[in-house]
Amino acid sequence: MARIIVVTSGKGGVGKTTSSASFSTGLALRGHKTAVLDFDVGLRNLDLIMGCERRVVYDLVNVVNGEATLNQALIKDKHCDNLFILPASQTRDKDALSEDGIERVLNELVKMDFEFIICDSPAGIEHGALMALTFADEALIVTNPEVSSVRDSDRILGIIQAKSRRAQTGGEPVKEHLLITRYSPKRVENDEMLSYQDVQEILRIPLIGIIPESESVLHASNQGNPAIHFKGTDVAEAYEDVVARFLGEERPLRFTNYEKPGLLQRLFGTK
Amino acid sequence: MSKSPSSLPIEIKISTVVAISAILHSSDPIAIDAALTQMTGGVSDFFEDEFAVIDVAAIADSAYIDWRALVDLLKKYRLNAVAVRGAGPGMLAAIKARGLALDDGAGADRAREDVAAASAAVTIAQPPAPAPQPQPQSVALPAMIVDTPVRAGQRVYARGCDLIITAAVNNGAEIIADGSIHVYAPMHGRALAGASGNADSRIFGLALQPELVSIAGVYRTFDEGFPAELARQPAQIRLVGDRIDISSLTPASSRT
Repeated sequence: MARIIVVTSGKGGVGKTTSSASFSTGLALRGHKTAVLDFDVGLRNLDLIMGCERRVVYDLVNVVNGEATLNQALIKDKHCDNLFILPASQTRDKDALSEDGIERVLNELVKMDFEFIICDSPAGIEHGALMALTFADEALIVTNPEVSSVRDSDRILGIIQAKSRRAQTGGEPVKEHLLITRYSPKRVENDEMLSYQDVQEILRIPLIGIIPESESVLHASNQGNPAIHFKGTDVAEAYEDVVARFLGEERPLRFTNYEKPGLLQRLFGTK
Repeated sequence: MSKSPSSLPIEIKISTVVAISAILHSSDPIAIDAALTQMTGGVSDFFEDEFAVIDVAAIADSAYIDWRALVDLLKKYRLNAVAVRGAGPGMLAAIKARGLALDDGAGADRAREDVAAASAAVTIAQPPAPAPQPQPQSVALPAMIVDTPVRAGQRVYARGCDLIITAAVNNGAEIIADGSIHVYAPMHGRALAGASGNADSRIFGLALQPELVSIAGVYRTFDEGFPAELARQPAQIRLVGDRIDISSLTPASSRT
């Protein structure tokens, strides 16, 4: 049974596309046939982060309009055999997405035996974001530990509860997961940042993971490789934990405590 | 086609509607017009075609009221006059001639006494016999109960009744009730009780930290933050005179 997962946040720049890329890669690395769809029509980014921008021929809008088949448009990932990317169109706007068209594309992906279909939502709460969440079975709510991001996530949760197909047809509600990104335990300690407990207290949905703030994310994006590929970094391990928890495994929370540098480290200023 | 009850050309059911009370203290249309203009601040859709009951209990029976002009005046402010409340016996014929209904609920006691004395008016003042008119005072609507968090951008309105919320109300949310509001979880956001003017409505919460509260249109914001000694603990908010009063509900013995 295929699961459609929307990665959304309301606010921009919190790490939706980074998380979509690493999350879908993580699922594929564990052997699940996964598709990741970029709904940010007009501002395509996912193909850059996945490092396949030069292989884009057809895109989501072409498929929705019937100008190309899914098989023509899906791009096979360069690292994983069972990961496919459906890029957004750069030259169109989000109004080009119709609900019927999206439903047809998703149904076709389900028929192609994809186990997980990840919908990378654009920022905002307008048409593009609505199209990304309408057919979701589950939602990854990407939130930074700061008030405006939390407020926007709260807003998008309300929209999921009202506008998703599951809500409209009175089905089982969309399963929500909280993913906190760009978390800095040191800044939480200094009261410069909301703690993950604060965020959870406001949003009141189950926490699926915490991704620490890290320079390796920027490095990964620039290289066109999802951060989860950078073995040994805290970000890669944190995303692996998220994927494991999503698949039902128990993993303890990591990267939430600030370890003060030891005396010798402070004296000698070593990293 | 089978004749199910819904295929009947008309069905009669009792329903309760919410109407605005337009309480007149003057019968001078020019003064009323000026007051409405000031009240609405020139916003043309201040009232959204709501029903209005004209309450004339404060007007002397002998006063002359130009009903047509009054109805047109309210219409100009997008208020639809449907009934008159508290009318003296001298007004009844003119009210009926204008096609307005008579509401002899609250405030109409005087009219009812007069009716008993003047038998000629009985047929006019009695409500059309068989269908008993539901009166807000005697038929309590069940409270509206919400069990899911009210999130930013969401708005809950308990029309004509109390609102009970058992989950968190977040900043950016708006909860509105014509009656009182009860929140059994942390309450942020905006809370508006007595939205149709009931000044006896209150707001009760286990952990209050709202952005704005309002009772019967009198509001208070918390730019400086909610009073720290009352925040995040059981408290109630009510209208005392024209001032919003917040008081603790923590029993004195258990206060720290």
